[in-house]
Amino acid sequence: MICPRCDSKNVDLLTKAPVDDAWEVYICETCCFSWRSTESDDIKDPEKYDKRFKIDSSKISSLDKIPPIPELIKKKD
Amino acid sequence: MSYRDLREFLEVLEKENQLIRVKDEVMPEPDLSAIGRSAPDMENGPAVIVEKVKGYKNSVALNVHGSWQNHALMLGLPKDTPVKDQFFELDKKWSDYPIKPVWVENAPVKEVKITTDINLFDVLPLFRVNKYDGGFYISKALIVSKDPEDPDNFEKQNAGTYRIQVKGKDLVGIQPLPFHDIAVHLRKAEERNEPLPIAICLGNDPVLNFMSSTPIEYVQSEYDFAGALKGEPIELTKSEQGNLDIPARSEVILEGYIMPRERRIEGPFGEFPGSYSGARLQPEVKIHTITHRINPIFENLYLGMPWTEIDYLMALNTSLPLFRQLKRDFPEVVAVNAMYTHGIGVIISTKSRFGGYGKSVAMRLLSTPHGMPYSKIVIVVDEFVDPFNLEQVMWALTTRVRPDKDVVLIPNAPGMPLDPSSEPAGMHTKLIIDATTPVAPDKARDTELLDVPDKVDYWMNYLRNTMRKEGDK
Ligand SMILES: [Zn+2]
Repeated sequence: MICPRCDSKNVDLLTKAPVDDAWEVYICETCCFSWRSTESDDIKDPEKYDKRFKIDSSKISSLDKIPPIPELIKKKD
Repeated sequence: MSYRDLREFLEVLEKENQLIRVKDEVMPEPDLSAIGRSAPDMENGPAVIVEKVKGYKNSVALNVHGSWQNHALMLGLPKDTPVKDQFFELDKKWSDYPIKPVWVENAPVKEVKITTDINLFDVLPLFRVNKYDGGFYISKALIVSKDPEDPDNFEKQNAGTYRIQVKGKDLVGIQPLPFHDIAVHLRKAEERNEPLPIAICLGNDPVLNFMSSTPIEYVQSEYDFAGALKGEPIELTKSEQGNLDIPARSEVILEGYIMPRERRIEGPFGEFPGSYSGARLQPEVKIHTITHRINPIFENLYLGMPWTEIDYLMALNTSLPLFRQLKRDFPEVVAVNAMYTHGIGVIISTKSRFGGYGKSVAMRLLSTPHGMPYSKIVIVVDEFVDPFNLEQVMWALTTRVRPDKDVVLIPNAPGMPLDPSSEPAGMHTKLIIDATTPVAPDKARDTELLDVPDKVDYWMNYLRNTMRKEGDK
């Protein structure tokens, strides 16, 4: 299986439906995108996922950090 | 008040014909999102209980705050109370701050306790709120955290609303924007490389969600304000870990901690200005304990192109602090309407002490903590114009504004990054429109306002009663 948003192969089964085996939810470990097996093709299919919302996995690490990580306080002895 | 928690408020709504039960089984997508979009677009904006969602155990409540009728009932007022009257009632209750909470044993939210094999999907019917959201979101949470430097200080404890993206069975992402109180707590924890304990409280007394989205001061307690709004104390209890004070009558509490000095991708997410906000690197929360009531109701909200539930929730609680801050220095101010797009647009009603006064009032608004970054378009109207009545405001714009004198631009001023027109993001040009009647030494053409005819009160009553009698037949 491939992530519909960033095309990563690093995809896991997140959970199955608590009742009736109604669906499964998958998650991409690269871009954190998650989707349900019963959603429409333009959510699940990498070819049909809207290009405006596709994510280039090589650019994830350069996204803004909110909030910024502060300096560590040095412990006094 | 005639309710103590979400369940009792839903009963009030049902009695007042402000609640719809969907008994047919629905799909999580796209049905829950579509229901959340539709309800506030209906004339009376009812809350909706969806009893059965495919694959899940529990029910969902949507649009609990999503109309002026529901908002009035939250404040204990008749459901047809006009917005301006709700504003003044809120102002009155605000003065009763603080009413301290009480701590109770055997809290309903502790009926069920889960500490092993945690799976959020077992308890919460999670769903995608808008199509291109990065995942399933919890949009209506009250999140409790303490100041790590002063953990015993009750007032420095914060209860705020921050968006939550589900990223695992026991893992969620959170958005602590730097200017919000939880970011202060997180900074102090991260400076020490310590986890920050939090409690994500879902399905609350509606007054608690109202307060958790209100911009009060850092050393003020949302619980003490909620007590003031209710005229009676909120019931609290202690979290299982982290010594946090949590509402005793919530439906579900997710306890966990923000992992220090880590950021992972979160978003995008459809936001209140009606557009998506992009993906960023944000903190994550490990959930270690869930407590909940038997048959918990999952309360969540749809947000998107205004107006949706969130616009009702953030309407008067944005207006009121701005009104109070202005009133302190400008006693002539009558009311402030900051309910358009979370205060990006503001209408102020004031009496003018001398010529040009309207502009000064607008400039004061633009130097308040919220108004400085958020407010982009400020309209000032006379004291007899209801700023919550846009027909009257349009009258003021069309009959009182001299564009050459009354319209002012202030370029390159502080802005709000979620405003998609701010360019660069977080900066914008301010627009002030002074739509007040000129007073000395300013000059205007002589105009005389029309009075209402004598006996209008008598005939208004007469006509209303006649209509009521016809309706009874
Ligand atoms: Zn991905």
